[in-house]
Amino acid sequence: MVRLSELHPEEAQHMLGRAALLKRSSFDFDATPWITPRPLPESRIALISTAALHRRDDPAFRFGDTGYRLIPDDIDPAELVQSHISVNFDRTHYQRDLNVVLPVDRMRELADAGEIGGVSPIHFSILGATESFLFEQTAAEIARRMHDLEVDTAMLVPV
Amino acid sequence: MPFPLGRPLGVADNPEFQRDVLRSALQLLETATEPTIADYPHEAPDGNGDGVWACSIELPTPEMSELESSVRTEVDLLMPRYQEARRTRGRTTFGMSGATVDQIDKVVSFAIAIAEGSGFEQVPAVASGPNWRHRMPMLVRFVAEDLRALYQEAVTSEAGSQPPSQRDIHTWIFQETALGRLLKQIGQQITDHDDPRLRLMRGFIIPEGFWEGDHAFGGVPAGMTTDEYVRSIRPYLIGENT
Repeated sequence: MVRLSELHPEEAQHMLGRAALLKRSSFDFDATPWITPRPLPESRIALISTAALHRRDDPAFRFGDTGYRLIPDDIDPAELVQSHISVNFDRTHYQRDLNVVLPVDRMRELADAGEIGGVSPIHFSILGATESFLFEQTAAEIARRMHDLEVDTAMLVPV
Repeated sequence: MPFPLGRPLGVADNPEFQRDVLRSALQLLETATEPTIADYPHEAPDGNGDGVWACSIELPTPEMSELESSVRTEVDLLMPRYQEARRTRGRTTFGMSGATVDQIDKVVSFAIAIAEGSGFEQVPAVASGPNWRHRMPMLVRFVAEDLRALYQEAVTSEAGSQPPSQRDIHTWIFQETALGRLLKQIGQQITDHDDPRLRLMRGFIIPEGFWEGDHAFGGVPAGMTTDEYVRSIRPYLIGENT
């Protein structure tokens, strides 16, 4: 997360407002949310990007979209575009290297080296500028899909 | 991760640094015994670079009275470098609006028509052809973003030079190029529009700090939080109702 001091004051104020909203929200769980994860060398990992990435032929993310899109691990990066609405993000590095926002090559390298157990054949993308409490249904659907894909760990990559 | 927004892995084309960022996050799974927040201890190795970069492609001084020809001249001058970058990288991020880069004439025509006052209700008649992926008025924002993508990809392709920071890019586009003037002219059309809800979209076209006057997103009505206001006008901005 960028330092607030490096943001334009209006943008920093917006971030602080979001944080205050989260603080006021209450989250109820039926069970203790903390678990002891599988050791990394045995864990299959999926990425969740908040960069609103999607395949060119997929429906674009629209402002306020709380849905998700699937990104195959072996996707040709040329097939991806980004529908994130913010103009304040640094896109110059993403334009040079997809791994800056979706580190698919790096995850495969960690798997090849045995540092992680494997990489999910499917990753997930959402538009992260929307209020987090609106994502409850999408989060549950992604969790179900990850379960079906025998994913052990989700790596959230917030843009 | 103390990196600029938009760069969660820190820096492009540096696999070693990117792997270290991932390892640092993943290792928390092996060490944490409760929900944990930890700071990544390293800065991105490219630094910030603000103010060091200068565009090596010489563009003519933009003429406000000839905005369309000035933008088209810039696009023509930048296109060879853009195409070279696309070949080298094997990809482009152009296409968010639904247009392809060989439809750039229509993309420019679209933006010019909006800047000249064609309104935000209908796709300008001069811009028919591309398979636009968004509805009006928000389509305007993605057309603007595609133009910025073409400019950015063109000028970040130079091998061996210090790449520009996002602030360098914003400063160059909004203070030196005809595209910047075009986007500000669109911002002015938004400001002058009868419906104040449109002003939020100005902040999706012009970065904070580059819109002269009030802040780029416009104001929030008294008695509403920003999130409440944004939720209330989303349907209008994405063309679901008026």
